[in-house]
Amino acid sequence: MMAAAWRHKRVAASQPGFLPLKSNLGGDSSNVKRRKRVNKNKKKSWNKFSDIQDVEEFLEDVRLQERTTGGLIAEKTDDSLFFVDTGDKDEKDKDAQPETTVKKGKHSKPLRIDLILQPDSHIPAPKNVLAFQQPNAKKQRRTSDRAAKLASMGILPRREKLLQLRRAAAASGVSAKKRAVANNNPDRTFYDLWTAETPETADPYYLEQTKKKLVKRPDRLNEKPSVLPAIEVIAPGGSYNPDFFSHQDLLRKAHEVEVKKIKAEEKLARQLAVNEDVATEETTFKEQVEGLIEEEEIEPEEPEGDTEGTVTGPTATQEKKTEKQRKKEKAKRIKELQRKAERQVIDKRQQLFQLRSISADLKKQEQRTKMRQAQRKAQQEAQKSMPRRLGKLKFQDPDLDVQLSNELAGSLRSLKPEGSILKDRFLSLQKRNIIEPRDRAKFKRKYKLKFSEKRAFREIQ
Amino acid sequence: MGGLQKKKYESGSATNYISRNKARKKLSLSLADFRRLCILKGIYPHEPKHKKKVNKGSTAPRTFYLLKDIRFLLHEPIVGKFREYKIFVRKLRTAYGKAEWGAVGRLKREQAFVQIGPHHQGEFTCFESSGFSSRSFILWGCHVMNERLKPENLSDKRYPTFIDALRDVDDALSMCFLFSTFARTGKCHVQTIQLCRRLSVEWMNYIIASRSLRKVFLSIKGMYYQAEVLGQTVTWIVPYQFAHDHPTDVDYRVMATFTELYTTLLGFVNFRLYQTLNLVYPPKLDGQGELSLKSECEEDYALESESYSEKLSALSASLARTVPSVEEEEAELDHFPAEGEDLEKMEAREKIELEQNKQKKLFEGLKFFLNREVPRESLAFVIRCLGGQVSWDKSLCIGSTYDETDETITHHIVDRPSIEKQYINRYYIQPQWVYDCVNAKMLLPVEEYFLGVTLPPHLSPFVEESEGDYVPPEKLKLMALQRGEKPLFTEAAAEEEEEEEEGDEDEEEEEDEDDEDEDDQSEEEDEAEDEENLAEMEAKRAQGKRLPVKVTPGKVKPENRMRTEQEEKAEEKRLAIMMMKKREKYLYDKIMFGKKRNVREANKLAAKRKAHDDASKADKKKKKKKC
Repeated sequence: MMAAAWRHKRVAASQPGFLPLKSNLGGDSSNVKRRKRVNKNKKKSWNKFSDIQDVEEFLEDVRLQERTTGGLIAEKTDDSLFFVDTGDKDEKDKDAQPETTVKKGKHSKPLRIDLILQPDSHIPAPKNVLAFQQPNAKKQRRTSDRAAKLASMGILPRREKLLQLRRAAAASGVSAKKRAVANNNPDRTFYDLWTAETPETADPYYLEQTKKKLVKRPDRLNEKPSVLPAIEVIAPGGSYNPDFFSHQDLLRKAHEVEVKKIKAEEKLARQLAVNEDVATEETTFKEQVEGLIEEEEIEPEEPEGDTEGTVTGPTATQEKKTEKQRKKEKAKRIKELQRKAERQVIDKRQQLFQLRSISADLKKQEQRTKMRQAQRKAQQEAQKSMPRRLGKLKFQDPDLDVQLSNELAGSLRSLKPEGSILKDRFLSLQKRNIIEPRDRAKFKRKYKLKFSEKRAFREIQ
Repeated sequence: MGGLQKKKYESGSATNYISRNKARKKLSLSLADFRRLCILKGIYPHEPKHKKKVNKGSTAPRTFYLLKDIRFLLHEPIVGKFREYKIFVRKLRTAYGKAEWGAVGRLKREQAFVQIGPHHQGEFTCFESSGFSSRSFILWGCHVMNERLKPENLSDKRYPTFIDALRDVDDALSMCFLFSTFARTGKCHVQTIQLCRRLSVEWMNYIIASRSLRKVFLSIKGMYYQAEVLGQTVTWIVPYQFAHDHPTDVDYRVMATFTELYTTLLGFVNFRLYQTLNLVYPPKLDGQGELSLKSECEEDYALESESYSEKLSALSASLARTVPSVEEEEAELDHFPAEGEDLEKMEAREKIELEQNKQKKLFEGLKFFLNREVPRESLAFVIRCLGGQVSWDKSLCIGSTYDETDETITHHIVDRPSIEKQYINRYYIQPQWVYDCVNAKMLLPVEEYFLGVTLPPHLSPFVEESEGDYVPPEKLKLMALQRGEKPLFTEAAAEEEEEEEEGDEDEEEEEDEDDEDEDDQSEEEDEAEDEENLAEMEAKRAQGKRLPVKVTPGKVKPENRMRTEQEEKAEEKRLAIMMMKKREKYLYDKIMFGKKRNVREANKLAAKRKAHDDASKADKKKKKKKC
């Protein structure tokens, strides 16, 4: 180590005016070992065996100086290193110090934890470079440069231009662009919609072709799909303080509806019920002995008639008619026709005498048709107020809104409203054929649910 | 002869109809958009006569539209807007997915400036934060589509004339009143609720200004009102306050679309109606009223921005007019010389007119004060419609005009069993009195509506009884009152009640006796005749025996002209019935049977009622005795 110490001195000496802090650089002589001889023809051995301790010690010393004093001692001014020691001043300080410490007491004394956390080196922490970096700084710098350049040339950005335009428009009192107002804006304005407009002077064909005029709405569309009134007032029994009998009347109606429903349900249940025969002792016994008892075999009596003589198919051959037969038949036919014609003539003549009954018949028929017409018309009229079948579902009358006698409120204050008006309105629209009756869409899962047990939680079985 | 064989379903009803799905595809719209379009344009589904033919042999239930209607829709520019919006949403979604914020901004800006307008920007931020499920897309989409309902379409297309619009205003009113009571919880847009509220308040103010309310009915469902506006009868239903549960089986989107249409309609109708009365639109409070309304504690109720609309909705002040109001001169019906039926009709019309005028001024000069437990808005509306003055406690609502301590108050409306501090010079009545007065078109006696008294039933004014129907005795009494007869008894004289009732019964009995007397008289007459006849017969017999020729002075037989006339008529009728053909006879019998049955049933009901009344009376007596 002697050599190392010597070399350190050499390194330190090479630095002009360097003052080592530790003066015992050369003190340790116990570590001195014999020099090892190695080949130095390989870089590996250079690294391994070259002695750089002196340099490291020097650097260590430099770092120590920086840490403890904040710089190299050699570079410090004399004032910061030395002071003139006048003894009495020190004593005074010593006298003064305990008083102040007593006065300040615990308040001024820093906590130990704070002291530990205090950095003990005098070197300021290095700056975090990343903290000072701006994202996109280059790009932004460029854009701002370009904006400045454009501004110097007198070209404004688009936003600014629009703003200026708007300002100018506002100053002149004309809004730049009329913006549509939402239909449900509570402050929207209305005007007279039904004033007679000035008739269009332009060519109607031109307007139609350029789609400046809408197609005329057919009158058919203004017909209401049902004759029912928009608001169907509840029966007098639905009053909050009803007359006894009208209330009973309404209750009866509701009751009838309910009874009908129950009946339908019962019917369905009856139809679906399994018609099972309960096994009795007799039947079980029969079942058990089935096939065990030999019964007298009663053979079905065979039909008496012999099957030999019967003809299986139609006889194919028919004998040919003779001339005589044919003539006879023809004569017969002619005679028959003649008879019929005569009969007709007679009948016609007879009808003259039946005139009255015929006319009565006619009248009857006419009346019947008239009656049927009236009936059909009445039916059509009734149909007009009926809800139609407009989709998958049929319209079904909602339950009557009814309050039972014990539910009726004595006063308006304690009244408990029944049913929902929203639903009532919705159903009214359906009843008047304006919208088709619908059910709420049912939630349908697209994929099956898959269960997996998590490690953290195990299902208790 | 011959030619190509006709194919099935290529002509006739199969080609006149189109199924909903096909129509939707033809218009290239989503189902929700298609529904909206149909509602806004007033196109309804149809039920074809021969479904199997239309459905190309299938019997599956489907929704059909007329093909012509769908063709008409094809011309609508609004369809294009729907498509545009759909594409915009798609683009926006893509940009979001790719996190291209520049593109998102550009798209929004374009859409906003081209079609939406600045106030929608906020909603888009909502949409961003909601993580944009497709549902929210649709929701906002629907909302933005709002603007595409151009009112012009409404006028010359759906409602060619103002009266057409008025005829359809029932639905609009009910919907607006309903939506205005919704809580602002996100079931529908807050803006929609506000608009509905504004429009319904405007409507009520118009009804007040024109004094056209005719009927009110408090039902268990809600309050039914009927007004006569420009000769059209308008009925609407108003829900009670805080009566909502939101039913799940109602399609809110469909209802919101209807509301959108109806708010637009009602707005324009309101404008026109205000014009007819020379009122300022949007409504302004009358100058004097405004000053008096400015109380110091206004800020307690509403923000500065809202206080005006709140005051309007308080309904306690009258509205400003464009032309300074002149006292409305009585519009008298023109008199034309008329004969016969016309004259009768004229008279009837005049009578009705007179009645209405009376009803309009029913509460004039009366001053009401509402206690805090009564339905304020409804009562204020009804009272003001009949010309009364109304106020309430200052702490209850904005717009109260006088205090409870006011000496000039005539009626104090209370809905509680008793009240501590009572003033002498006013009636304390229950709210039903006001409604019953409207329906009866007269000021009813107050006694039956006093505090703590069991109220008479609230009858429906919408029922019109035909002949022979059962009429509740309360209504009979009311009708008697309307005819100007004195009420037989009133419950006010509670002590004398029973005595009076007994008196009534006596009267009734007397009447019955009268009837019986008449019968007796007629019987007596009959007997007298019989006796005469008998005498004659005897005389004849005597003549046959003795043959005495004797001339007695002629007796003038007193001829009861009325009676003979009646007899003749009865005879004629009998003969006519005899002469009837079989079928007619059958029909006649049926009609008569029906009439008799009706009468019988009415009698039965009346008897029941009497029994019920008696029973309740007996109960009362017992209770009284116990007390």
